[in-house]
Amino acid sequence: MNDAPARALDAAPVPAAPKVKSRGLFPAGRTGAAMRAALLPVLVIVAWQLAGSGGSLAGGVLPTPDRVWDAWVVWAFGPQGMGLNPYSGTWLSNVLFSSMRVAQGFVLAMAIGIPAGVMIGWSRAVSGTVDPTIQLLRPIPITAWLPFSIAVFGIQDMGAIFLIALGGFYPVVVNATHGARDVDRNWIRAAEMMGASRFDVLRRVVLPAALPAIFTGLRIGLGIAWTAVIVSEMVAVKSGLGYVLWDAYYVGRMDVVIADMLSIGAMGLLSDRLIVTVEHWALRWRRLQSASR
Amino acid sequence: MGTIRFREVVKTYPGKQPVIALDRVNLDIGEGEFVALLGPSGCGKSTLLNLIAGFEEMTSGALSFNGGTVDSPGPERAVVFQEAALLPWLTVEQNIAFGPSVQKRPRAEYEPKIRELLRLVGLERFAHSLPSQLSGGMRQRVGIARALVMDPKALLMDEPFGALDAQTRMSMQQLLLDVWQSLGTTVLFVTHDIDEAILLADRICIMSARPGRITREITVDLPRPRSVDQLTDPAFIRHKAAIMAEMREAQKEHA
Repeated sequence: MNDAPARALDAAPVPAAPKVKSRGLFPAGRTGAAMRAALLPVLVIVAWQLAGSGGSLAGGVLPTPDRVWDAWVVWAFGPQGMGLNPYSGTWLSNVLFSSMRVAQGFVLAMAIGIPAGVMIGWSRAVSGTVDPTIQLLRPIPITAWLPFSIAVFGIQDMGAIFLIALGGFYPVVVNATHGARDVDRNWIRAAEMMGASRFDVLRRVVLPAALPAIFTGLRIGLGIAWTAVIVSEMVAVKSGLGYVLWDAYYVGRMDVVIADMLSIGAMGLLSDRLIVTVEHWALRWRRLQSASR
Repeated sequence: MGTIRFREVVKTYPGKQPVIALDRVNLDIGEGEFVALLGPSGCGKSTLLNLIAGFEEMTSGALSFNGGTVDSPGPERAVVFQEAALLPWLTVEQNIAFGPSVQKRPRAEYEPKIRELLRLVGLERFAHSLPSQLSGGMRQRVGIARALVMDPKALLMDEPFGALDAQTRMSMQQLLLDVWQSLGTTVLFVTHDIDEAILLADRICIMSARPGRITREITVDLPRPRSVDQLTDPAFIRHKAAIMAEMREAQKEHA
């Protein structure tokens, strides 16, 4: 019953991997799967390394992987305050600057987006009042808000946080709306029949039923939050991974640029895993559905 | 206390071509009576149940429960849904406790009752299981326990065993007979299964579709207590033959 389509990207139950014979190059099981997954990145890095000569390729524009690695090591672990290399030893603080902005902006996006979305999905009156405005503003890309944000908040954290919150808000609110709107009608009827008030229905039926969709929104929103932090740091703030990215490009340090790009990717992946972990915990009841008889 | 009364109840669904789901339906159900609504799908029998449950509003007519009007769902009219409609994130025990807990009844009062009901429906070992871990029949047992825990004055059952396999359905029918015979609650039971209607009900209201009407009422005078073994009794077969004849006739009249 209630075979609602799995809305969350990977909340669908993953059946235990059946014992299969190893196929081709890799042994069966987790190790084999990891090896299979690593194959393509390793090939790209090797090809990239071999294509270059003297530490660069494409006419000296792109550094080879070993140079990127060296640049990252200095960036991460080098001594600070050396005039020759302004990036030396600043990796962690820049990662923290960006992460803090994403965290602050995204908490704001969740704090407004989840209740707003659930209310829009649940109440026709709220939907009619608020939803048209959201749909009207939503097509404006967050990058188009940059001048507005700088003008209002200046070159400081608040501008970045505003942009992150705004970018993260839309997917969160839209998915929460869908989740709250698609609640099985009989669940609501059953709750009302048992004497639940309108608020009981909202808190004890609509909200839990909307959670899978809410988590989908959170994951999409977090991706946009990382986009927003990089964009605003490139333009409007003087610290963080986005600032370093643009600054390093400006002085021709493509090794740092690539190390920075990979760092952003790693942080994005890490924060996504964080949400997935919370999701798995909050939606334990869904995972058990694969065990249904 | 648990009387239901429909007087000239009409329910239409508006639209380009309005659908008359119920056309001047009259029905009286007495205290402690078990009435089955029997009819083909789309005849409005679920609509009838939804009206008395308070899920839908009638278009015209009069409808009363215990002499009072019905304007919203409530625990005195407990509903058992076709697919159980349990909340999938709550355990069996939490699903049964949902009603008493939203009604802010003291936990000390309803907890022993839930244990007793779990025993009654044979699910003590599954108190902490999730609905998805149960079979269809077990889920419906939880649906019945969830309704009974509220001490309803009427049980409204909307094809509760329609989705179950034949064997499970029989054991559920027996369970319902046993429970009802000890409680004596008023029951309105919607079904399209003739055997089920005869086996369970005191009275069968046969409905026809388009527009939905009660065309026949048949009293089942099989002795109580009943059991599923009676499905092959000569008396049961006689009833079934009579009802099938009536249904055929009703169909002809309304064709």
